[in-house]
Order: sequence, then C-alpha cells, then structure tokens
Amino acid sequence: MTGAAQHSQAMFFQARAGASVRNKLLQGALRKAKPLFIGKRAKGMATLADDGLDFEVLRSTAENIRNRVLADLDVWLDIFEQRAKAGGAEVLWARDGAEICDLVIDVARRHGVSKVVKSKSMLSEEAQLNQALAEAGIRPVETDLGEYIVQLAGETPSHIIAPAVHKRIEEVEALFAREHGRPIEQRTSADIPALAREAREVLRQHFLSAEMGISGANFLIAETGSAALVTNEGNGRMVTTLPKVHVVITGIEKIVPTLEDFATLMRLLPRSATGQTISNYVSLLTGTKQPGDSDGPEKTVFILVDNGRVALLGSPYQDILRCIRCGACMNHCPVYFSLGGHAYGWVYPGPMGSVLTPLFTGIENALDLPHASTGCNQCGSVCPVRIPLPELMHRLREAQVERRLRPWSERFLLRAWGWLAGRPILYRWAMRRASRYLNWLADESGRIRIFGLVPGWTAGRDLTPPAGKTFHELYAARKRA
Amino acid sequence: MRLALYVTCLVDLMRPSVGFAALRLLETAGCEVVVPAGQTCCGQPAWSAGNRDLAADLARKAIAELEGYDFVVIPSGACADQVRNVYPQLFSDDTAWDQRARALAARTHELTSFLVDVLHFAAPPGEFAGSVTYHDSCKGLRALGVKQQPRQLLLKVPGLSLKEMPDCEECCGFGGAFSVRFGEVSTQIVDRKCESIVLAGADAVVGGDLGCLINIEGRLRRRGDVTTRVLHVAEVLAGGDH
Repeated sequence: MTGAAQHSQAMFFQARAGASVRNKLLQGALRKAKPLFIGKRAKGMATLADDGLDFEVLRSTAENIRNRVLADLDVWLDIFEQRAKAGGAEVLWARDGAEICDLVIDVARRHGVSKVVKSKSMLSEEAQLNQALAEAGIRPVETDLGEYIVQLAGETPSHIIAPAVHKRIEEVEALFAREHGRPIEQRTSADIPALAREAREVLRQHFLSAEMGISGANFLIAETGSAALVTNEGNGRMVTTLPKVHVVITGIEKIVPTLEDFATLMRLLPRSATGQTISNYVSLLTGTKQPGDSDGPEKTVFILVDNGRVALLGSPYQDILRCIRCGACMNHCPVYFSLGGHAYGWVYPGPMGSVLTPLFTGIENALDLPHASTGCNQCGSVCPVRIPLPELMHRLREAQVERRLRPWSERFLLRAWGWLAGRPILYRWAMRRASRYLNWLADESGRIRIFGLVPGWTAGRDLTPPAGKTFHELYAARKRA
Repeated sequence: MRLALYVTCLVDLMRPSVGFAALRLLETAGCEVVVPAGQTCCGQPAWSAGNRDLAADLARKAIAELEGYDFVVIPSGACADQVRNVYPQLFSDDTAWDQRARALAARTHELTSFLVDVLHFAAPPGEFAGSVTYHDSCKGLRALGVKQQPRQLLLKVPGLSLKEMPDCEECCGFGGAFSVRFGEVSTQIVDRKCESIVLAGADAVVGGDLGCLINIEGRLRRRGDVTTRVLHVAEVLAGGDH
C-alpha cells in the first residue's frame, strides 16, 4: 500500500456520507455556499461575451493547450527545468509524498529553517507535509485564510479553492478566540472582515519571522521557467517574496508551454473558480532575487512531483491530467453539496476527487467513489478543460468489474437480471409477477413505505406501486380485443 | 413511416400508461407504430454498473429487435442516450456489430425530440386544466439536448400553463442504482428538487424520464405533499386517463 493509500479514508465513504447527510450544521453551511458558487461562475462566464469570447470555443482551446503539454510532457519539463535553472532556481524531482517531505525538510535544514509560511498547496496535502514538518521540529503556518482556519481546527481542506467552506462563523470565532487568546464574541457575517483582519495581523508576524515560504503553483510556464500563482488574499505574495527561501511544490502536469497559453487559461480559471474575470493577484515567479530587486527569495526551489501522475499518461485516464484545479466540478455537483468534501476521504473531493483518489491511492482503496455520482454530468458541462468526468468514473467502474472488486451480491444480482432480460418470455412472466407483488405491497394509502429489497430507497421515499398489470400484458390484451 | 416504440423496462413494470400515451401521441402524429414483442431492457443498468460485457449482450439483443424500422422512439432520455451514445461505444472490436449499433443509434430518438425535431408535430391531443413545472432530466438535457422540445409541446396543450421551477436543470438525485446504493445522499438531493417544485407552485411536475419521476414522486409523498401530481410528459401531451 502506498503512503497515500494509508492516509486515505475513501473506503469509508458510505459511513462518512451518512454522517455528513445527518450533520445539520454542515448541511446549513453547504446550503449557503452552493448558490454563491454557481451564481458567481455563471456571472463570470457571462462576461466572456464582453471580450468577444465564447465559452465552448475557449474551452476547446484550453483543452488543446493541456493536451499538447501531456503529449510531450517530458520535453516541456526538460525545457522548464533548463529555464528555471537559468533563472537561478534549483529544480528537484519527487516520486511520491514521502520524497516531497524528505526534500522539503532537507532544504529547510540546509537553511536553518524553524518556521515555514505556506500558501495554498493541495500537493502538500497529498504528501501530508505539515505533519512531516512538525515531526521534524519545523512549524508550518498556513496563511490562506481558509487553510489557516482548517489548520487551527486540526482538519483538512474540504474544498480545493474554499478549504473552510464547511465551517460556520461561530466555529471560526471559537477557533480564533482560542488561538489568539481572547474572549469569544457574538459574530454575524458582517464581522467577516473583522475576523479576516484579525487573522491578517497574526499572520503578518509569521510572514516576517518565517525563514521559508512554501507555495504551490497554478501553472509552470516552460517558456520562462516561471511559476504562476493565482490568489485573492495577497498571502501568496508574502509567502513567495518575504522569506529567504521559497519552495514551490507542484505536480508535473501543471506545465503550460508559453505565457500566451497561460493567458488563455487565465481567462477560464478565475471565472470557473470564483467568477472573477481575473483574481486579485496573479504572480509570475521567476528565479531568485537579483541585484537591484527590492524583494524576492535568495533561494528558490522547485519540487516537481509525480505521485501517480506519470502512470496516467497514455492510460485511459489521461484526460484527468488536464485538470487546472478550479473547483467548478464540485461546485456544480449535487453529491458534493449533499456531503461536503470530507466524506470523500482523501485530498480531492467532488467529481475530480472521485477520479483522482482511486487513481492516486489505488482503485481497490476507493471502491465507492466512482459510483458516488448520479451521472448527471453537471460537472463535465462546466469543466473549463472539458474533462469527461462521468466517463472517467465510468471507466473506473469497469476497472472494478474487470478486477472482480465488486461485491459478490451485486455481481450475482446483475448476472441474474441480465440472464432474465435476455429471455423475453420468462422476463414477461417475471415482470407480471413483480407488478402484482408491488401492487400487493401497498398500504391503505396506496403507497409502499417499506420495501425490503431496496431499503435505502424507501428510507426516504414512498414508492407508488404499479396498477398490477405490465405494459406488455395490457398491450397484448388490447391487440387481441 | 414505420417506427418501433421502445417502452422501456421501467414503464413496462411501473407505469404502463406512459407507454400507451407515447403510442397515442405517435399515432396521432401519423406514424405506424410497432411495439416489438421481445423488448426487455436496453442494458443501461449493466453499463452503469461497469459491466461492459453484459451491456453489450443486451445491446445486441435490442439492436436485432429494433433495427428493421425507420425510427426507434423511446419515452426516456436515459434509455435513448444508452442507444444513441453508448451502443456505438460497445463494439469497437467487432466491425459488423459496430456498424449495426451506429445505424440504430442514428435512427433512435427520445420521444419529445422526435415529435418536434423530426416530425415537426405541434398538435398534441391532450388537455390539461392547470399549471405544470418541467424537470429537465440529466441525460435528456445534457446528452441529447432535450430542453425546448417538451416545453414547446406542453404549451400547445389547451388549458395548460407552464411555471418554471428554480434550478430546473439540477439533478433529482435518482441516478439509477445510485439511489439504492447511496439512499441517504439521493434523498438529500431529491429534497432540494422537491423544494424547487414547491416554489414553482404548479399543479403538476412533469418530466421525460420515469426514473426521475418515481424518485420525485416518492419524496414528495414522503414529505407529505399528496396533491402535486407527478406526470410523464407523454401522459400530459396524449391526454386521456392519466
């Protein structure tokens, strides 16, 4: 079992899903967030027309850019490495999460680092880097407001761009009061700016005292050897310019060939994520502080990570590597918004998580996730790089069947049903019996309230029974008449 | 024009009136309608479960039964999607079947899109005294582009008014086996759908897929709403004893 598989809780999806559905407070938070996410994206996309752009055309272009990279990933990585080194950066390669942790701790030790400030990085979640840093005696401080809240709560992000979307203001207030050593106050959403200010003041001290900054990268630009960072809070700028060492941890698939490609993708990324035409901050970080520069790190290290990505190249799942981590798929997913992100059990929630978690942690370690979809394709229709998410989940379902990972009861039922459906005369007879049986099951109100064959169904729903005769039975009678 | 009506396994068992309504509509539109006798299920549940072999077996059976007609019409977006979009993916290593699958796919249509897009039919025989709200089922909407067709037809029904619900394109949470496997999650999703339906304040919620309708009706009733009618679009358009 890989390290990632060990910390994945994806096998407990059913139990965690049930707990999430029954968690009233979580449900309240999710209900508030959903229309905001959907509404903001819709507004953002509507502004494309102002620039004479069309979503479908633009996302085909974006899809092509990402496909072009994946077709020659080794070449683009090679170019990136050369250009990044030419700018004075060090480029390291990590096979998995454990190697990320080792490399980061090694860089930290070499530079006498005791505190690290972090900007959002989902890859550091894949590696469980904060835990490894703490164990090595280095204090990691998350500086994205949502990540900061989640870190104080001892939790993991429940959304890739809104890590604390599951948290209510009362919880945040209690965490801040405890951490910042002050009494708890009554808070409403009008106090959010005040809470943000409070966090900012605390974080400022950390920015000034940390010796190392860690960030992810939304893209790596091969042409210039730069990391592109797309943020809204300004913490990314602090993390990447104030400390003397800056470490960028990112997946090898995040590369784009040119600045122009980056500009194209930037038309879609903020709009897809938050509906913004552009995020508050867009940083292109190239190399180290040069003579005459007013700020910047003395040392820049890129850690480029595989952690399961190489194996997807050329596989039936390659399309998922186009992902630019905008979060639109989860923001439009009815399942995600019934559960929140934690039910998914690993780093990535929602549709992209239901694809990535089994692929990165082992298909056999996340059996429910590819089935945790109604097949509605609300995700696929908003994906800015046209990833066919339901199709990929479908392929994972097929892989489970091929590897005989489905429960025997399901295999038996499916086979029995398939056998019957292949024999019309027998099937007709069985359906006639079923129709009468269902009709007989109805109570005095004319509905079925408990049906042992599908208890999950009637736990929340009545079943209106059929009238007792099948269509084909009635149709045959009508033809005879 | 001779066409095959594929009533679907769910209509056969749970709500035969939908099949008869589809039959009446197509005959009113001037078609010679045959109901091929051997039809059972298109195989969508096997496909959805990830069992490609079984899905292909049932597809072969359906193709053989349905390929001798000018058109195949199905009163369900999900099943029409299976024939139109999935069957052509099943036989990549068998040229003969692949061609038959593609030929059938090209002649197969969801009921309302067939009536509007192919037949340009605009005179549904039904009558409906009251208001309806239309739920867009996912496969019909996103895989087949069924959106305006049912609304165009519904607005031709004397006495009927359309009251759109908020988020009419949101999934109802059915998803076939999903609603059995993840009953609680599915219930949570259909609850949202029911809230939208209540907000619309219509006399009936109408849709084009019986699976979604059974799901919605089941939750509405459990929530204590016994008055909002839940009808298949074919039943409303065809009129008669729905």
